[in-house]
Amino acid sequence: MDKQDKTDKKDKTVFETFIGLEIHIQLITQTKIFCGCRNSFGDPPNTNVCPVCMGYPGVLPVLNEEAVRKSYLMCLALNCTLSEKAVFDRKNYFYPDLPKNYQISQFEHPFGINGYVETTLPDGQAKRIRIHEAHLEEDAGKMIHEGAVSLCDFNRTGTPLLEIVTEPDFKSGEEVESFLQDFRRMIRYLGVSDGNMEEGSMRCDANISINYPGKGLGRKVEIKNLNSSRHVKLAIQHEEIRQAKMIRSGETIIQETRLWNEEKKRTESMRSKEDANDYRYFPEPDLPPFIPTASFIDEIRENLVELPHLRRKRFITEYNLPSETAEFLTDEKGRADFYESVCKEGTDPQTAASWVKGDVAKVLNREKMDITSSPLTAERLVSLLKILDEGKINGQTAKKVLDMIITENRDPVSIITEHSLEQLDNSDELSSIIDSVLAQSSAALEQIKSGDMKPVGFLIGQVMKLSGGKADPKKTKEMIMEKISAL
Amino acid sequence: MWKDVLNNSDKKKKYINYVNDWEQKIHSFLEFDPERTSAESLSGGGRFSGVPYAVKDNIAVKDYRLTCGSKILENFVSPYDADVIGKLHSSGAVPVAKCNMDEFGMGSSTDNSALAVTNNPWDTGRVSGGSSGGAAAAVAAGLVPFSLGSDTGGSVRQPASFCGVYGLKPTYGAVSRYGLVAYASSLDVIGVLSRDLNLLGDVFDMIKGQDEKDQTTVKLDPDLPSDLQIDDGKPVFGYLGGDLGLDKSVEAGYRNCIDMLIKQGYSVKEISIPALDYVIPAYYTIATAEASANLARFNGVRYGYRSKGAETPLDLMKKTRHEGFGDEVKLRILLGTYVLRSGFQDRYYIKAQKIRTKIINDLASLFKTIELLILPAFPTPAFRHGEAELTQYQQKVADKFTATANLAGIPALSFPAGVYGGLPVGLQLFAPHSREKLLLKGAAIIGREIPVPEVPGYRSIEDICGGQGR
Ligand SMILES: [Zn+2]
Repeated sequence: MDKQDKTDKKDKTVFETFIGLEIHIQLITQTKIFCGCRNSFGDPPNTNVCPVCMGYPGVLPVLNEEAVRKSYLMCLALNCTLSEKAVFDRKNYFYPDLPKNYQISQFEHPFGINGYVETTLPDGQAKRIRIHEAHLEEDAGKMIHEGAVSLCDFNRTGTPLLEIVTEPDFKSGEEVESFLQDFRRMIRYLGVSDGNMEEGSMRCDANISINYPGKGLGRKVEIKNLNSSRHVKLAIQHEEIRQAKMIRSGETIIQETRLWNEEKKRTESMRSKEDANDYRYFPEPDLPPFIPTASFIDEIRENLVELPHLRRKRFITEYNLPSETAEFLTDEKGRADFYESVCKEGTDPQTAASWVKGDVAKVLNREKMDITSSPLTAERLVSLLKILDEGKINGQTAKKVLDMIITENRDPVSIITEHSLEQLDNSDELSSIIDSVLAQSSAALEQIKSGDMKPVGFLIGQVMKLSGGKADPKKTKEMIMEKISAL
Repeated sequence: MWKDVLNNSDKKKKYINYVNDWEQKIHSFLEFDPERTSAESLSGGGRFSGVPYAVKDNIAVKDYRLTCGSKILENFVSPYDADVIGKLHSSGAVPVAKCNMDEFGMGSSTDNSALAVTNNPWDTGRVSGGSSGGAAAAVAAGLVPFSLGSDTGGSVRQPASFCGVYGLKPTYGAVSRYGLVAYASSLDVIGVLSRDLNLLGDVFDMIKGQDEKDQTTVKLDPDLPSDLQIDDGKPVFGYLGGDLGLDKSVEAGYRNCIDMLIKQGYSVKEISIPALDYVIPAYYTIATAEASANLARFNGVRYGYRSKGAETPLDLMKKTRHEGFGDEVKLRILLGTYVLRSGFQDRYYIKAQKIRTKIINDLASLFKTIELLILPAFPTPAFRHGEAELTQYQQKVADKFTATANLAGIPALSFPAGVYGGLPVGLQLFAPHSREKLLLKGAAIIGREIPVPEVPGYRSIEDICGGQGR
């Protein structure tokens, strides 16, 4: 470690860091926010467009109710105070991928303000992050530069985007990274967004300032272009050091926007406050204010599912699971729902957990399948585990059957019947298999007779092999020992 | 008779000749295409089956150009129909022409059109008014029985008064704006111009109503006129007293109308609108603020005029707008951008909204004592082309009588009030929110005594298509 780095380390301990986030999530809706075009990712350029989202002369926006509902669901999950009268505003700036050259957003009266959300820090501590506001707006298109030409794809234009702004409550990049994972889990639970940072359905900008302890917020710098929660962490860590270095050497932090350079692992100046746009917000005259009625809110509240951190806590106490297992099971809502349906059918929670976490996860991973869309229904797993529990098949066979349920999309019973996988409870058949094994294993027999019991395992293995895995290992051992002593 | 014009080749020929004769003098249309008539419109039994009409060129008609009188949209062809066009289509009416206008509706003369100069049929040295100047001139000359215009601060009523026809500005939200190219969204309304008050009422009846594509449309009294029956109930009229700074002929027309009503035994009260002097600053602040955003979409990226030789995307947008917009449009975009600057909204935009609220309240309390308000449409009759008689600034100040109704969102109708010195004078009526029926009734009362004037050279469609040639 060189001298400079050591100074950085030292500097860092002197300052207090404040980080706030602006998180944009694309809402899952059938259609775009103001028109009937499909809201979908990855289609050929400019195929999901119409006069409205292309900003043709004379068109008007029509607010998508589904986007409003999902926004309010999110506001409730974030414990926000809801505006009595939410107002849309025009945010004016020129950019080729913004068809109207203004973005319909919310400024003074967003759907929700003053909320909070619980998160678990990397050290296991719970922390409450305050939410400044949550507002709905339209996404812009995409500009692609190819050599000397610039091309625009307007498919993304008008995708409903919910922006959630936190207070500067984070103290480190690590806190932000783990929060973003919690946050992503939450929005997926609620079904409002798929939270895919790589595809841009969840995007995050970070505001960061540092100051001497007890002096309050410093002058904030905004960092953009953060495409994963890890990069958010790295960029914040880099920025902390950069700002500390500046203050140390008597420089003033400039309030500006900086871009994270993923390759060079550093932030770079994009524009200063002086260059910032004056967005000239004013109320959108084409859309009436949205007034949420009590019955509307009640209806939304019915869709408010148990959030992941609460469900994890419950799994630990209710099913007596280790926290790591509970975390795995509650990571995706579909998985947690699946687990609970299996338990509800009377399966022992520990057994169910070890199967879902173990072999089920293994096969689904291999097949690149999601538990909710895979052929493995809770009923099928329950039925399989019941057959195993009754001793009709052994553990090895059960794993084989599980694999076939998933790859062949069939019921466990039909698989077991067709492949005659039930354990041999017919003693005669098993007895004759053992006899033939013993007949070919004279050396092993000698050894056993002389008191060395090691080859017993070998003999059991041979019987299993010959029976096609259907022999009950316990019963096989008993019979072998019986036959040897009778010899 | 209008129903047969497009159906009969002999009549159609006579009609087209009549239109072309007038058009050489007045240039009211940017496009005229009576051949584009669909068979279904002509054969269908709709209320207006086969009736031709003209449309201001800021209202979208599928496959027609939608220029807004601007170079920036000169070759733009609309891919869709405005809601009003769809509704009229289902009644069988046929759009045959697009009308000249002040660029993006910004002006009171139609001289701000980048594409053509429209003359007043009463005196071709004079303007037809604006911004729906083409729509008013065409109706006055008898080229179509009615036309659609748009009214943001008086753009239907002022040209109607300059040309001696009726012009209706409905209640804000009564008619869908879907397909109307926005100038100032909170003030814009599609209106109707016609020489025939009954027809005007019928057309309004046809185009009004809630539209799911325009969330600012409102539910109206379903009982709106299809036939104007003047019952015995006599509405109470109000009129503005004091010196209104009117031109002599307008003053004379105004006095004459009021005297006539008194003579007819109507109760007429002198009133005042306290906030009237603040209408113009408030109107221009709100209208230009909204316009600065509404016109931002014209940047050469997706459609319309595109500047050649730009180096970067931002450069392309700048050059396109610099070359594509006229001076008046640029002036209003700049003004609107100025009043919306952060830190200055309290002084301009928010103050304007407060004035607007005051005007709404002033009028609401006025309508507790009167039912209809008569006031001038414009302080002068049609003025000469250019700024010699009325500068652009004076033209703006003169909008105060019409813009009041837009700020208040109430319905207003301008009506012909006589011909003075060879030029028509128009006045207007205001009614409370959504009381279009009352408005039309008031105009009918006045129309019995002061009929619609005929411009020299005007011929009815029966006359044009009748047996005797020209
Ligand atoms: Zn669309």
